[in-house]
Amino acid sequence: MATTIVEPGQPQSAGTPNSPRPSSGRLIRGLEAYALLGLTVVVGAFFSVWGPTADTFLTAANLRSLSSGNAVVAVVALAALVPLVAEEFDLSVGAIAGLSAVLAAEAVAAGLPVILALVIALVAGTLVGLFNALICTRVGVNAVVTTLGVSIVIAGLINQITGGTTISGNLPAGFLKFGSGSTLAVPNIVWALAIIALAVYYLVDHTPYGRYLYAYGANRQAARLVGIRTRLTVGLTFVLAGLIAGSAGFLQVLRAGGADPRVGDSLLLPAITAAFLSAAAIKPGRYNVGGTMVAVLFLAVLNSGLNLAGVPPYVNSYVNGVALIAGVALAVLLGRRKA
Amino acid sequence: MSQDHSEHRPVEDTSSADAPVVLVLDGVSKSFGPTKALQAVSLNVRRGSVHALLGGNGSGKSTLIKALAGVQPADAGTALLGGNTLDLRHLSPQAAHAAGLRFVHQNDSTFATLSVAENLAIGSGFTTGLAWHIIWREQERRARQAIERFGIKAKPSDLLKDLGPATRKMIEIARALQDVDEDQPGVLVLDEPTAALPTTEANTLLDAIRRYAEQGQSIMYVTHRLEEVFALADEATILRDGRNWTTVRPRDITHDELVSHMMGSAWDSARKARDHEIGAPVLEVKDVSAGATRNCSLTVRAGEVVGIAGLIGSGRSSLLKTLFGALPLEAGTVTIDGKPVQHGSPREAMHAGIAYVPEDRSTDAVFPGLSVRENLSIASLSRYWRHAVIQRKAEHADGRRLLRDYLIKAPNDAAPIGSLSGGNQQKVVLARWLRRDPRVVLLDEPTQGVDVRARAEIYQLIATASRSGTAVLFVSSDFEELVTVCDSIAVLRSGRLVTVVPAASLDAEKLNVLVHAPLAS
Repeated sequence: MATTIVEPGQPQSAGTPNSPRPSSGRLIRGLEAYALLGLTVVVGAFFSVWGPTADTFLTAANLRSLSSGNAVVAVVALAALVPLVAEEFDLSVGAIAGLSAVLAAEAVAAGLPVILALVIALVAGTLVGLFNALICTRVGVNAVVTTLGVSIVIAGLINQITGGTTISGNLPAGFLKFGSGSTLAVPNIVWALAIIALAVYYLVDHTPYGRYLYAYGANRQAARLVGIRTRLTVGLTFVLAGLIAGSAGFLQVLRAGGADPRVGDSLLLPAITAAFLSAAAIKPGRYNVGGTMVAVLFLAVLNSGLNLAGVPPYVNSYVNGVALIAGVALAVLLGRRKA
Repeated sequence: MSQDHSEHRPVEDTSSADAPVVLVLDGVSKSFGPTKALQAVSLNVRRGSVHALLGGNGSGKSTLIKALAGVQPADAGTALLGGNTLDLRHLSPQAAHAAGLRFVHQNDSTFATLSVAENLAIGSGFTTGLAWHIIWREQERRARQAIERFGIKAKPSDLLKDLGPATRKMIEIARALQDVDEDQPGVLVLDEPTAALPTTEANTLLDAIRRYAEQGQSIMYVTHRLEEVFALADEATILRDGRNWTTVRPRDITHDELVSHMMGSAWDSARKARDHEIGAPVLEVKDVSAGATRNCSLTVRAGEVVGIAGLIGSGRSSLLKTLFGALPLEAGTVTIDGKPVQHGSPREAMHAGIAYVPEDRSTDAVFPGLSVRENLSIASLSRYWRHAVIQRKAEHADGRRLLRDYLIKAPNDAAPIGSLSGGNQQKVVLARWLRRDPRVVLLDEPTQGVDVRARAEIYQLIATASRSGTAVLFVSSDFEELVTVCDSIAVLRSGRLVTVVPAASLDAEKLNVLVHAPLAS
């Protein structure tokens, strides 16, 4: 299809981007991608030498606690990430994890096999996700409103089931051993996280479905006009979010040996923060799995250091709130520059 | 085809070449990223004259008007009016208004359910008395003054929705000018005022505009209707590629000369492109009703380019959207190669071999934040889905090839789509569809907001597609473009397809008449 349209003496076309991208641009983008990781290392180094935390931060025990403690948050963050790629906000992921944890713990405490407890957790999560999907895509209610409402209902449900008390005891020893044990010096929970993260990464980055999510997130109208089944595509993100959050609930029971009725609340904000912050790392301007992992690590290191230093809880609130705002702002700025 | 405009009096030489200059635009420039929309444009408007501003898609006309209106700051340039120098980098709409600039935009901005008096008052402020109550008698008096001064055939109490479109336009003009004394230096900028008017209404409006100019009002008249330029304008400035290409006096040149000033060599390449065989019918539309369209039937053959001409609101875009399954089909059938098309979604249309390039690429076609490569492959991902992963290398290789084949100017295929100019973005959208080798391509204003060089390239791409047997349906409001690029043209009026005419027997004026003529029973 070679054609030449050049006319001698024709004025320079108004729309010709001229020079190729300078290599300094690439360097800057590389720095952007790893800036958050670098910042994490810096913060970690700081806590390793700072007076109040120097002795406690960089110990094997603390690192193990830090990683397994945040593994569940990371899974919930991945649950929130899938709809977020399509620019839909699922605020029920924390509550779903909490519900699944409670149901799994009850099941195990009642003597059911562990595998069945896992299935129950996953099914519960998927069903809630399906409900979210139907309300958002069929009825057309805004996702924020829907998922917020659902999370409040679930909180009530959890309260009803547990009567407000933690479910513990009666859990088989093997179950507890696996949950707090490690393989090859890495906590088993973290291995589970790695598998889930890999699966989500594959879905979002290497399948057409993932590409359709990014396209829908970039321009809904255009997505429809290139033949993407938008209702199905978006609906599925909520179902997947529910499924992943369900698995997070199960992992939480594995780790803690029980289910605290308030665990859902404590999971939501760090998870959402990390999901938003993901657009600031690894693939700047785009919500992505690698960025989510870095973001979780960053928040984990930050909070761990603050806790070891014994700062009052309100400091944690300030720091996490600012991190959320800064993360979203950064994602917007980076995204705007790309677009 | 040239100077026979017997319906209008030819412009008398009342405003001679020595009339004083009332508005001077100097060095106006504006860039959007890499795209230079305006490059040091300068022009003068004489007092009491009608100065036409011409230019095709992507010429920079609307950018210039927006800068003058203070709505979108320019990167450089000044406007000198009535002794005031306005810096177009920092002009606010209020300052433009205060300096004497008045604008009437293309879209109807009147309030249909309000009266003439109310519409006029909203533009300039109500006269209020104690506790802000409106003194209606005063409003009526002022409305009567305006009606008298501008020759509007209406009463102050008439509701706008009961008046004809030309009258509504005149009220818009009256609203803009009512607080300007005839002796004050001021310029009225009219942006395509006849765009949505049928011929008789358009003539009424043109007569009114000529009267205002004779009364001393200086008018800048933005249009791409050449016949209006010859009927009305004392001077015409032609913008091309963001530059002031030339300023001419319409009574001193011929129609063809004006066309070639405007379009340059884009036309030659477009003209040469249509020289191949036309085959069997591919797309058959029978009695289709949907949205604004009623009982439309037409046929497009393999290798044929059929244009669709009609005013805004005639149903052009509805027809294309319906054929693509984006709007529900209410009645009628659509077949491709004899097989009926399942309607209801773009997916099904794509499956049947239909491609659709929407009119508004930023809201309907481009995925911002995604790369050029991703924008190119989004409708063809299945071909990269092998061994359970997207084959990135193949996608990358295809991206590079498509940049070459579709003449897309980008540093590489990983560049974000937003860094490309409008014309190149449009070529990406075109490439996205044409690479699928569709049976039918539906194009809705494919060269809107595209610079001249890219337009020529887009015509080439369309010609190549049609040469390989694709049937093309081409909607455009640019009659010159339709007449040059299409094999035949279907005329839509109020949702009905009134006629299909071979392009060879038409020119832009004849097409204009066909499009505007009132519906006969």
